[in-house]
Amino acid sequence: MLALLLSILSNHAEEKPLGWLDHHLEKIENDFSRNRFYFAFSGACRHFDKEHALDLSESDLDSISGMAPGFTIDNRTADHVARTILLLALAEKDQDFFLEVLRALLGAADIREAVVLYSSLPLFPHPEELVSLAREGTRTNVVDIFDAIALDNPFPAAHFENDGWNQMVLKALFMGRPLYRIQGIDTRANGTLATALANYAHERWAAGRPVSPELWRPCAGFVDETIATDIARVAATEAPGQKEAAALVYAHPSNAEKLAEIKESVEPFLKEIENGNLTWDTLGNSLEKDG
Amino acid sequence: MKFLDSHVHMVSRTTDDYQRMASAGVAAIIEPSFWQGQPRTHVGTFQDYFNSLIGFERFRASQFGIRHYCTIGLNPKEANNERLADEVMEILPLYICKEGVVGIGEIGFDDQSAAEEKYLRLQAQMALEADLPIQIHTPHRDKKTGTTRTMDVLEDVGVPPSKVVIDHNNEETVKEVLGRGYWAAFTIYPHTKLGNERMIEIMREFGGERIIIDSAADWGISDALAVPKTAALMKEAGVTLDAIETVSYRNPLKAYGQSGQLKEADWAETEGIDPTDLFEGNTLLRGGQDIGKAMSGEDLVIS
Repeated sequence: MLALLLSILSNHAEEKPLGWLDHHLEKIENDFSRNRFYFAFSGACRHFDKEHALDLSESDLDSISGMAPGFTIDNRTADHVARTILLLALAEKDQDFFLEVLRALLGAADIREAVVLYSSLPLFPHPEELVSLAREGTRTNVVDIFDAIALDNPFPAAHFENDGWNQMVLKALFMGRPLYRIQGIDTRANGTLATALANYAHERWAAGRPVSPELWRPCAGFVDETIATDIARVAATEAPGQKEAAALVYAHPSNAEKLAEIKESVEPFLKEIENGNLTWDTLGNSLEKDG
Repeated sequence: MKFLDSHVHMVSRTTDDYQRMASAGVAAIIEPSFWQGQPRTHVGTFQDYFNSLIGFERFRASQFGIRHYCTIGLNPKEANNERLADEVMEILPLYICKEGVVGIGEIGFDDQSAAEEKYLRLQAQMALEADLPIQIHTPHRDKKTGTTRTMDVLEDVGVPPSKVVIDHNNEETVKEVLGRGYWAAFTIYPHTKLGNERMIEIMREFGGERIIIDSAADWGISDALAVPKTAALMKEAGVTLDAIETVSYRNPLKAYGQSGQLKEADWAETEGIDPTDLFEGNTLLRGGQDIGKAMSGEDLVIS
């Protein structure tokens, strides 16, 4: 992955910063100094562009996800990618040493550094050692940092236990984040989460606040009597995405019978679902764009 | 007119100060790392302090349309706790090359002890290695000797004077500091440092070249509006607008801009805030307007 990211970056950066990066990669390999590494990781923003997202080709993105499924540098800046490359070089060191330096970097990270550190987690060896760091990161209230772990990142679905996973999904809703960008949102759904989500929806309704249509996505495979009543309410709610969400829950293979009473109200959407024009992802995407 | 207060400890100030600074045209500020009154006993409290300088304080300032930068360093007073000082030295490299860190500071002498000299030297070397400006605190006691000694140490390490701002100057130190090629900053701070009427006399004698004015407002009796107030007082005293802008804006921009982390475009593109957004019915004028009027109703003299 290091070689691939480096070759992609070299098509999008000037010779001078690339020379600077090469120099540091050589030092990391042959003459490592902790202070020099700190200077390089934090100082990358002084050498590479930090303001514009890289304009990457489909084939670049495909080769990245081919090598690390789910991982992406789409919409990232050059200094972000340079920092990721430095971390990958560090990850080739002894595991305990790598973890110690990683913790030091996290303990002193500014927001953009924290985003690099968390979004690179799926690339590092021994992920079991990184779970507690990632969970600590999800406790943040800084949106960019939370997003770096929760969204467009395969790490949580692959490594969080249910309790950590469920807290992250709930927190994503609290923070108004789009659930469709949480990788594994369907495969990691579970009954405990469905109950917690329904309870959260009841709280919101009691307070007269709107409930995100995406909240019902992880509930679709766990419809009990309570949730069936909730979905009937959603199907009758006049707000963007509500009826679509009810239709998507209805269309889940296990629900036709349980939700028979809402069939009529969701009927207009079933064809769209059948031909693939309406999915949880298209719904989440359009809500995010309009939100 | 816009101002750049290159020395102000905002962690000790309230949002009232931020509002008044924004209203008076302070576009950008630099917050040096310093002691916090109560001596620290653990490296962790230093680390959390540095984290707040690059994190929460920057965010807090941005809410008022003010761009916040900082300098990172081990201050001279706490350099005397050598066990702790060594631990702080170990974490400094994590911070000094970060975004928005415009130098190493404020460092220098307090008691002028051997330990203080040791850490001044080590940090000057670090600045040289990272190619960063240095912000120097000169001692309050035996200032003249301490200022001379500071410059001797810096020159011994090989730091070019053009990359160093020597702060807290007075009538007794300014000549040597400018003569040796350093930037000379003056802190307008009531009672213990320099009053702004004295500052005008210094400007009359030395002009504006390589001179900077700042507030060093902190947890003591100090004034977060010292820079705009002094500018207004200077105007009243007949100092040219060009000279006022040089010492209160362009010079600190040039000196700390050598870090590559501070440029006018950083705040030129942001419109700043309309004070009426902050509190209804407020009539304080913003910078860009006549500085005398902007400060009308304030007592301009700080002594």
